[in-house]
Amino acid sequence: MLAFLRRYGTLAGFVLILIFFVIRLPDTFLTAQNWLNITQQLSMLMVVAAGMTIVMVMGDFDLSVGSMASLSGIVAAILFSFGWPIWAAVGVALLAGLVGGLINGALVSFVGILPFVATLATLTIFSGTAFVVSGGKTISGRAIPDAFGAFAREGLPLGPVTLPNLTIVALVVVAVVWVLLEHTTFGRRLYAVGGNVEAAYLSGVPVRRLKLLAFSLTGLSAAGAGLLYASRVASANPTQGSGLMLNAIASVFLGMTMSEEGEPRILATLIGVLILGVLDNGLTQMSVDSYVRQILVGAIIVIAVSASSLSKSTRR
Amino acid sequence: MALLSLHNVSKAYAGVPALRGVDLDIASGEIHALMGENGAGKSTLIKILAGVVAPDTASIAIDGVLVTIDSPAAARRRGLRFIHQEMSVVPALSVAENIMMGRVYPRRAGLFVDWRALHRISRDVLETLGITHIDPRQKMARLSLGDRMLVKISSAFLADAGAPARLYVMDEPTAALTRDESERLFKVLRGIRASGNSVLYVSHRIDEVMTLCDRATVLRDGKPIDSGLLNGISHDDLVALMIGRKIGDAYPPATVTPTAEIAYERPGLILHKGEIVGIAGLSGMGQTELLRKIFGDPGKAWKSGIAYVPKERRSEGLITTRPIYQNITLPHLQSQSLGGTWLTPRRERRFATTLGESVKLRAVGPDQRVLELSGGNQQKVVFAKALGGDPKLLLLDEPTRGVDVGAKFDIYSIIRDMTAKGMAVLLVSSDLPELIGMSDRIAVMRDGAIVLTTPAAGLTEEALLNLCYGRDAAAAQVA
Repeated sequence: MLAFLRRYGTLAGFVLILIFFVIRLPDTFLTAQNWLNITQQLSMLMVVAAGMTIVMVMGDFDLSVGSMASLSGIVAAILFSFGWPIWAAVGVALLAGLVGGLINGALVSFVGILPFVATLATLTIFSGTAFVVSGGKTISGRAIPDAFGAFAREGLPLGPVTLPNLTIVALVVVAVVWVLLEHTTFGRRLYAVGGNVEAAYLSGVPVRRLKLLAFSLTGLSAAGAGLLYASRVASANPTQGSGLMLNAIASVFLGMTMSEEGEPRILATLIGVLILGVLDNGLTQMSVDSYVRQILVGAIIVIAVSASSLSKSTRR
Repeated sequence: MALLSLHNVSKAYAGVPALRGVDLDIASGEIHALMGENGAGKSTLIKILAGVVAPDTASIAIDGVLVTIDSPAAARRRGLRFIHQEMSVVPALSVAENIMMGRVYPRRAGLFVDWRALHRISRDVLETLGITHIDPRQKMARLSLGDRMLVKISSAFLADAGAPARLYVMDEPTAALTRDESERLFKVLRGIRASGNSVLYVSHRIDEVMTLCDRATVLRDGKPIDSGLLNGISHDDLVALMIGRKIGDAYPPATVTPTAEIAYERPGLILHKGEIVGIAGLSGMGQTELLRKIFGDPGKAWKSGIAYVPKERRSEGLITTRPIYQNITLPHLQSQSLGGTWLTPRRERRFATTLGESVKLRAVGPDQRVLELSGGNQQKVVFAKALGGDPKLLLLDEPTRGVDVGAKFDIYSIIRDMTAKGMAVLLVSSDLPELIGMSDRIAVMRDGAIVLTTPAAGLTEEALLNLCYGRDAAAAQVA
């Protein structure tokens, strides 16, 4: 019973949440349209959480993802207002994410600053840059090309429903990260570093280069999420990505409770993201106050992590 | 009446018995050895005594009175003191703080820590062990491995008001100590015996047990095999009792002689193909640093055919939460994957299984996690990993530390097999018989440098020890 709770508690909790909403919201919750909505709402978080999973596999964090998401949206919007074509502006915004991630990685691996401190510093730098570049204003309206905003509204028609583009992008990112982490030597080495960095180093794993690469990918994913967000609201604001970081870390933690070794796994992160998203969606439909929602989300994280460490530490 | 008497102690982990009806009697004023291979149940028995593990069945009596030991604090109250095998020290704290850990610090005005008293108490307790070279104010991190062990040992000798020590339980206390440090510890243990208290002593070093202990209890597969006086028992008989079979010599003989072809060369050190060169020296004379220097950048080293078995297998050699095969293939992922990028787990498992067989690894399969293996088998995983790329040069740092007799012999055999295929081996060890038994030549290190190299054949332990101490003029003639 205890072993079951430890391993499958989070999953069981997720199922209970689903059942609860199915009963309370019989007409609206379990519909294809609602679920497409959920996945669309979740796509930004999913992309950031996927990137976060990569660094957390090594036992590191990236606190700067939220402000990087804001910054990339701003960069793209500013370039749009200069009349740049969509592909070029999007490319530069993604490049900004890559470079920001490289800076994080360099600070952590070559300068040797703790990830917590390094990315806390870059968090404020990226955020400040976003404010400076945008002049603190929301960039919207005619500056944003129609096609950019349309991307988030459109999708792939599948019979009676339409699979939103944002959902497709999130699924592609999950698939790419899954392949990277589970099927490449890169992923294996990341897990080795997370398991025992000294043993990994002595086994010839290029720890520094690996960290650099991992943080770059996390920065890239954060920038991608920022673009998705900007497309969805057809505007860019220097604070619009700020909620992503905590939720992304929470999702990875929720996922970690599902693996025996307590290691982050991308598919488990996906479940973690779904838990947060479903909760948000259902509670909103039940008109629960958003502050009460925050309390509930926090409580669920505490319960899930406690359940997964049940009896591991009973004697201490 | 026995000081401590255990009767019918049993414990199973998830249905697998670790101890089966073990009896153990320790008299007052004796040093009692607890022996057995890794996995024989010694650690479990000690943990039950320490109140860390709850037994399934047990009756424990101290001075003939039945007691229950359900927590470390209860064990302490009953007069039991423990020195566990794992090096559980806090490097960031001072020596004194490590010694006093878990105790009430002396206070000034009931509030402020009385550092001067703390340091005095620590200095006194170190002095009872004859240790004067360690300053209690020093950070633990600055100490050598041997010194850290001494500090940890000394904390068990801290006087405790209301609960005088009766029995000291020591699990491999000399694993990280030099000969001199061990001798100092033995003197203290003999003092304990003389005062009427007792010691339960766990060690893989049979010679040590033979000279130090009065009686021994041998466990095999969780069952007590024999318990009796050590007087009159031979070394080989004791080994046979532990592993349940006779083994011939402790060290398999060399099957080939080293070639004249040079495998590795640096100023002061030449290794020929098929040769084992031992590195001797007192602890902390730069042996590990020399290996690290030769190894250099790990990525380049593995590629150029240099393999390394580090000293601390858990913290440096293994990723214990990962499966066996992933540990073995980690340095060889380049060749065991598609284009160095795409993982091919089936190929990896085959690779790991073959290597596991060649080192006589006992495991459920390549997917078993390393943390589920015994110490000896974990070390075999480290060896399998090192041998994976058919290295030209194998660097070994204390390869048999904390490894039981059976696995030790297996490891020696592996080393012999590899040299027969032309591999050169550099063997750092504080186990002098091991160095003499395995090496072709022995290089002696003092103060970070190799000061001399001598053939191992005909060398006695005493002569080698003298060389380590720098009394080479007289000793060289003996050699």
